[in-house]
Amino acid sequence: MKKLTANGFALLAAVATLAAAVNQTTAQDLAPGEYIVGSEQVISDTVIGSMPEQSAAPYAGDSVVDSVVDSGSYAGDMSSGSDCTSCNGSGCDSCGAKGKIGGRLAGLSGLLGHGGAHVGDVGSIERSYGSSDLFYNYYTNGMANRANAQMYLSPLPVPPNVGHTFFTYQPFYPEEMLYWHKNKFHNYYDNGRGMNRTRAVYFSPPIRQAASNLYWNKLRIPR
Amino acid sequence: MIRRFAIAMLVAVSGIASVSENTSAGDPYAVTQVWQHNYSQNRPWHGGYYYLPTGQPTALVVPPTAHMRQTLSWGVSQNLMYPIHHQFGRSASSPGAAAPGSFRATPPWPSHTDQFGVYYVRGPW
Repeated sequence: MKKLTANGFALLAAVATLAAAVNQTTAQDLAPGEYIVGSEQVISDTVIGSMPEQSAAPYAGDSVVDSVVDSGSYAGDMSSGSDCTSCNGSGCDSCGAKGKIGGRLAGLSGLLGHGGAHVGDVGSIERSYGSSDLFYNYYTNGMANRANAQMYLSPLPVPPNVGHTFFTYQPFYPEEMLYWHKNKFHNYYDNGRGMNRTRAVYFSPPIRQAASNLYWNKLRIPR
Repeated sequence: MIRRFAIAMLVAVSGIASVSENTSAGDPYAVTQVWQHNYSQNRPWHGGYYYLPTGQPTALVVPPTAHMRQTLSWGVSQNLMYPIHHQFGRSASSPGAAAPGSFRATPPWPSHTDQFGVYYVRGPW
């Protein structure tokens, strides 16, 4: 009977850990309050360039970044070239109606100097690096603000000659360290055919956290 | 034996379920997020004072899970709690830094914690 009880406890422990594991896997999908910023919602510093009309249709499974400006660019393309680089978005004839909307944006991407690379052209797809919205800033929002703040280079932006430091690895962004959560990072490359996925867990050891809370909230003399 | 085992399993499962309920913070549809977003649309994130080292009202980034802020002041019942509505978002917003003179300086003898010009804004999710 004693051995049976021990076996029962072992089985119970195994079942409990299994249940915990299952619970964890369901919780890691999306905790309530979390959401994933889709790439079509991101207004980026680096704007993906316009595609010509004769370019190939988006592949199935590709996430199209900006369907207003154009419909043939992919997340992961830094700048895939543009029709409107020559006129720099000032509304010349070759741009057409598309230049009215995305002309300024396309002019920005034309500054990167990758004009003329189209998906349809064999052998002219240039290699792209990184995500286009790497270390994008965050801003305060709302209609009633008399001044707005940006989150990085806090508290104020520095002059351009001072320079700028980028965090180049998304899981190490400081805003991720603020609370206990899990996050996933995806990088699409090769025009959406390849995807790199990184999963990060931001975790504070509960006992150490409890001790810290006990000290900072109860024991510490406020001064 | 089987009954005891079943009871133990029930207890274990209920314990795990209660733990997972604690982590979800009781707001499965993120209703408070919507409330806070709506409230942040028509009230500013800042008070009327600028932070002396920067000349602007300055945002102090707090975790996005932070709920309330406490203000301290002199007098009876002046220690108040407010929700932190504002959260940093992706969209760049139109008035950037304020023109000089549009915010007040911290008075020589401050009487309220809002007068220091540092205001909480929750970090992004």
